[in-house]
Amino acid sequence: MPRTITYTQAITEALAEELERDPTMIYLGEDIGFGGVFGLSKGLQARFGKDRVIDTPISESLIVGAGVGAAITGTRTVAELQFADFVAVAMDEVYNKAAKWRYMHGGQFKVPLVILAPEGAMGGAGPEHSQCPEALFWSAPGLYVVTPSTPADMKGLLKAAIRDDNPVLVMPHKALLNVSGEVPDGDHVVPLGQAALCREGRDVTVVAWSVMVPKALKAASTLAQEGIEIEILDPRGIRPFDFDRIIESVSRTGRLVIVHEAPVVGGPGAEVAAVVAERALMYLEAPIRRVGALDVPIPQSALLEQAVIPQVDDIVMAVRACMSGVTT
Amino acid sequence: MLWEQGLLDMQAEGRLSGFYHAGRGQEGVQVGAIAALRPQDYLLYAHRGCGYMVARGMPMDVLYADFLGYREGSTRGLGAGIVHIAWPELGILGQSGTLGGSFPIAVGAALSARAHKSDAVTLCFFGDGTANRGTFHEAANAASVWRLPVVWLCENNGLAVSARFEDTCSVRSIADRAAGYGMPGVVVDGQDAAAVYKVVVEAVDRARSGGGPTLIEALTCRFRGHYEGDAQEYRDRGELEQLRRERDPLDVVVKQLRAALPDADAQMELVRSRVAAEVTMSAAKALTGSAPDKDRVFQYVYA
Repeated sequence: MPRTITYTQAITEALAEELERDPTMIYLGEDIGFGGVFGLSKGLQARFGKDRVIDTPISESLIVGAGVGAAITGTRTVAELQFADFVAVAMDEVYNKAAKWRYMHGGQFKVPLVILAPEGAMGGAGPEHSQCPEALFWSAPGLYVVTPSTPADMKGLLKAAIRDDNPVLVMPHKALLNVSGEVPDGDHVVPLGQAALCREGRDVTVVAWSVMVPKALKAASTLAQEGIEIEILDPRGIRPFDFDRIIESVSRTGRLVIVHEAPVVGGPGAEVAAVVAERALMYLEAPIRRVGALDVPIPQSALLEQAVIPQVDDIVMAVRACMSGVTT
Repeated sequence: MLWEQGLLDMQAEGRLSGFYHAGRGQEGVQVGAIAALRPQDYLLYAHRGCGYMVARGMPMDVLYADFLGYREGSTRGLGAGIVHIAWPELGILGQSGTLGGSFPIAVGAALSARAHKSDAVTLCFFGDGTANRGTFHEAANAASVWRLPVVWLCENNGLAVSARFEDTCSVRSIADRAAGYGMPGVVVDGQDAAAVYKVVVEAVDRARSGGGPTLIEALTCRFRGHYEGDAQEYRDRGELEQLRRERDPLDVVVKQLRAALPDADAQMELVRSRVAAEVTMSAAKALTGSAPDKDRVFQYVYA
C-alpha cells in the first residue's frame, strides 16, 4: 500500500533507511543534529548518534571536501549544503574534487558521495539563497545531478544516489518541501537518469523538472480546455540526461518547450535545446522554446521573486506560441 | 634523489609529458615523516618531488610511467606530473591539483577511519604557500574539534613559487598558527630526517591514541626551480648556493651515520649502489611501456 507523506518526510526516510542499511555510512552538514533548518534530518542524530550524523562548523569547503575524502576511503557519505547556492562557496570541492577525483587518479577510487543541497526560490530568501544552479554542472563530467519533483521520486532518487558509487548532487526544491504525495512502501529506489512520463499528450513535448513539473501539470489543464494536449517529461535531473526519451517524444509531437526555474540565459535548458536541435531537427515543426527565470538576480522581496521565476501562465503562453507560430 | 635524477634525465631527453616540480633539498622531511607511518595509514602528499611515494614504497617504475604518460602508470595512462599519482593499497590518496584542496580530503579520510573503527592516521603534507589557503582554516578547525587522527605537516621552504614567506605570511612561523586551532605546533629542522622522524612519530602516536591533530612545520630548502626550466630570477644566487652547500639533507644524514657507525661509508656505498641499480632497472622497465589509445580519455569518468 502506498502511503501519503511529504517531500520532506521522503528525504528523512531515505536518509534513515540508508543509514540503517550501511552501518559505516555518515551524514554531515550544518545544523543537522537538531533536525536541520528545513527539518530534513529530524530525529536522525538521536537515532544514529553524533559520530554518524555529524554537525559541522560553518565550513562548506570542509563539508564537501571531507565528504570526498571519506568517500574515496570507502565510507558512503551524505554531505549537506544548507542551500544549493552554497555550491559556489565549495565549488572547488564540488566541481574539481568530487567530480574529478576518480578520473584524474586513473579510476583507482570510487566516490560514493551525495551532496544534498536544497535549491530554488521560496518566500523571499534573496539572491544567494534561492538559485537553481544545475546549469553549472553540465560542464562537470564525473558528477550526477538530480532534481526530484515528487515525494516518491525524492525518496527513490535519494536512495539510489546514496547507493551509487559516483558523486551525486541531489537538489530538492524548497518550494516542494511541504508537498504531499504517494510513496510506495518498502525499498523504493528510482534509477538515476531515466525520464518520467508525467502526462501523455500529442501536441507539444514539455520537458520540465523539479518544481516546474507541478506548474506544467497546471498549465496542461488550461491548455487542454483549448484543445492542446501537452506531453510532460521530467528528466529528474540533468546528469545523466535521458535524451533518448525526450527525442522519442519530440519525434511524435514535433514541438518542444523546456521549462526550468533557473534562468533561461545560461540555463540548463540550453544544452537540452542544443542536443535536440542536433539530433532531432527533422522532427521539429516549430522553434524550440525555453521557459525560465529572467536574466536578473533573484530579488529579496517575495513578491518580486515570483515575478522573476516562471509561473504557470508563462508555460501556457510558451506552449500557445509553440503551437501558433507555425503552419502544419 | 637518485629517482629524481633519473626523471630529470628522461626530461632532458624530451620524453616526459607535463611538468615536474623537483623535490631536491626536501627529501629529509618527506623520508623522515613517512617512515613514521604504519601500513594502514593514509597519505596526502604535496607536489615537491616524489620523495613521498618512493619513501612509502610505491613501485618506482610505476612512478616513472606516470610522468611518461604510459598505461603502466598509476593513472593508467592519463598522466600525472606528481599531482595525481595515487596508490590506494599504500594509502596514497592522490593530491588536489588546486593547492589546499587536500586539507578537507584529509579530514574526510580521518572521518572514514573513525567510521570503520580503524586506527589509521592521515598525514597531510603542504607547503608554506598552501598554508594560506582558507581550506586550511576550515579543515584544521574541524579536525581539532572532532579530535581526528590527522597530522598536518608543512614543508616550509620559504618560497611560494616566487613569493617569499616573510612577504606573504602573517606570522613568522606556520607552527604559531596551531594555537588558533587548539593543537600543538612543532618546529623541526626539515633537513634532518632523523629529527623529522622523531617529531612525526610523536604526532602520529598522539593522533592514533585519540589525542587529536598536530601541526608540524619542517624548515627546509628548495634547491631547484618551482618547475624544471624555472630561471628563478626571483632568487639570490649566492643564497641558493649557500643553501646547497650548507643545508643539504643528504649531507646531514651522511654526517650522522659516520658519527654513529664505524663502517658508515662502506655501508652507505652498498645501499647507494643497490638503490642506483634499482632506479636504473625501474627506469628501463618504465621506458618499455606504451602510451594509451585516445579512447583512454573516456575511461573512469564514472564508476
